[in-house]
Amino acid sequence: MLPTGVHSLTYADDARILRTSRARHWLAALVVALLAYPAFAGPYMLGVFTHLFITLMAVYGLYVTVGMAGQINVAQSAFVGVGAFATAKLSGYEIHFMLVIPLAALITGFVSIFFALPAARVKGFYLALTTLAAQVVFPIIILALPTEWLGGLVGMSVEPIRMGGLTLGAPIHFYYFTLVVVALLTVAAFNLKRSRFGRAMIAVRDNDVVAEVMGVPVFRTKVLAFFVGSLFAGVAGACTAYFLQFVTVASFTLFASVWYLGMLIVGGVHSPLGAILGVAFITFLQEGLHAFANTLMQSGASGGVLFALTSVALGGCILIALIFEPRGLAHRWSVARTTFQLWPFPRN
Amino acid sequence: MINLVQILIEGALIGLVYGLVAISFVVIYRASRIVNLAQGEILVVGALVLWTFTLGTAQAGYHIPFVVSIALTVGACILFGLALERFVFRPLISQPAFSIFMASVALLILLRGLAQLIWGAETRSFPAIFMEGGFTVGPFLINTRLFLGGVCTLLLAFGLHAFFTRTRQGLRLAAVAENHDIALSLGISVRWAIAVAWILGTVVATCGAVVLLSGRIISLDVATIGFKALPVALLGGLESIRGAPLAGIVIGIGEVLAMAYLDPLTKGAASGLLPYAVMIAVLLVRPQGFFGWKRIERL
Repeated sequence: MLPTGVHSLTYADDARILRTSRARHWLAALVVALLAYPAFAGPYMLGVFTHLFITLMAVYGLYVTVGMAGQINVAQSAFVGVGAFATAKLSGYEIHFMLVIPLAALITGFVSIFFALPAARVKGFYLALTTLAAQVVFPIIILALPTEWLGGLVGMSVEPIRMGGLTLGAPIHFYYFTLVVVALLTVAAFNLKRSRFGRAMIAVRDNDVVAEVMGVPVFRTKVLAFFVGSLFAGVAGACTAYFLQFVTVASFTLFASVWYLGMLIVGGVHSPLGAILGVAFITFLQEGLHAFANTLMQSGASGGVLFALTSVALGGCILIALIFEPRGLAHRWSVARTTFQLWPFPRN
Repeated sequence: MINLVQILIEGALIGLVYGLVAISFVVIYRASRIVNLAQGEILVVGALVLWTFTLGTAQAGYHIPFVVSIALTVGACILFGLALERFVFRPLISQPAFSIFMASVALLILLRGLAQLIWGAETRSFPAIFMEGGFTVGPFLINTRLFLGGVCTLLLAFGLHAFFTRTRQGLRLAAVAENHDIALSLGISVRWAIAVAWILGTVVATCGAVVLLSGRIISLDVATIGFKALPVALLGGLESIRGAPLAGIVIGIGEVLAMAYLDPLTKGAASGLLPYAVMIAVLLVRPQGFFGWKRIERL
């Protein structure tokens, strides 16, 4: 809801994302806070934030495929893995990172197209099954390829990014690097909804039979939804590879895919704001559980407790979100904002 | 030649185990229109419950007669099914398919985490319910455990098929599998259908665990069988219970043939990839599988 006195005179005005000067000021404050954050935080928290930014990139991709186009994708982590392995391989050829990241994204996109092709015949959860196949097949293929290609069971080391004379290695470097990348992807994710392709995807999500009748090329839109979602995943994979400087199959599991989906659902599938809120909420919940599990372990619990606790917490969060608030935290946020704007009058 | 036939026999028997797990998957879909990705976890939970009432209580010093353990396990499965219906799926009745699918995904990680919290991550031995070893038919060696399991699978498949197509209750479930809203408007209790679906699914999954694990080692990783059963269920047709064992045999034989002839060339990848390659091929060529329902959409 907009405050009184904000009028749109043109369509472009109406379609703007930041419509009031107050919104722009808040955004500027957020950017300044994120830029200044490393001055106050230790390397551990910088690592947490870097991880959060990379996760957010992957979840933006899911927002496109699942939230906008309505196609369930349970293989986002495998696609992130494809991006990471592509980056590891390409960085070995002394290619500049500005070229490696888009190439890795494109490779991931083309891999995803193969698994989106059954969209020609099936829809709904059947399509989810092909992405499940992608997720299960990914480690099998990587492990079966010759070791000198993609490292097999051992994994591959990644050449670090060199910018001029600087080699990226410290946590603060990666913090700023991923912050810039995630800022670019945020702009892309927020603007996609306003494009012709974005509207086509939303039409397909709401009712694909009607969309077809209206002249939206449904099959092409579905395949492109997977392609675009995987571009985001590929960039996330490239950042993961550069951040960890080593990639193995073991990091890209079905569980990670479920985590990404869970974050999106808890945040709200229908807006990029949901992706941001969900990723932040689940990441900080996980950090809290981490601290809790550490105290448990000091009193003699076993090491698997952390994994079990986080699984239970995330599973519980997804179920609670699905049952009680399918529109996610993003909807709660807009309700709170409207209430604040209308106060002292009741919201209805 | 004898070697080949031996391989085919083994493939068919392993395939029937996949078929049994696929039946537990199909039963839930056929009675409640819920695609349950967490079937592997359900199987593990069923197996752990059975372990608790047999070897677990024996370790604690209480020796329960075997029949009572089975009855306790079935009782626990029924409670589990009712709890899932009440707390997870009742609020989701006639919600979009996406919500229900995601609920099953959430269940997958929730159950995995709970199993680890309650039973711990260590491996344990599963009670030997079927006799071990094998018997010979002519020149061929047949594994007794898998053979008895296969017989159970076929009996269950035909029994459940009769239930779903011949009894009044079973036909009501068919309406729920078609569409929740229409079923509700015809006066069919979708809640009841979902409870029945989960109780049947859990019991059948526990049977699958018995056949798969009898006398062997149980760990949380056994749950991956759930993802192997998915291509089987899809190939047989998600609505067809009798299709599941047949598809299981097809995939089981394909898998052992790939294991015998292609794996040496591909570092063991061919047999792992085969079920999923079949799955994608099925989705591209005949999405309803062998005997599934073909859905027609209207505006």
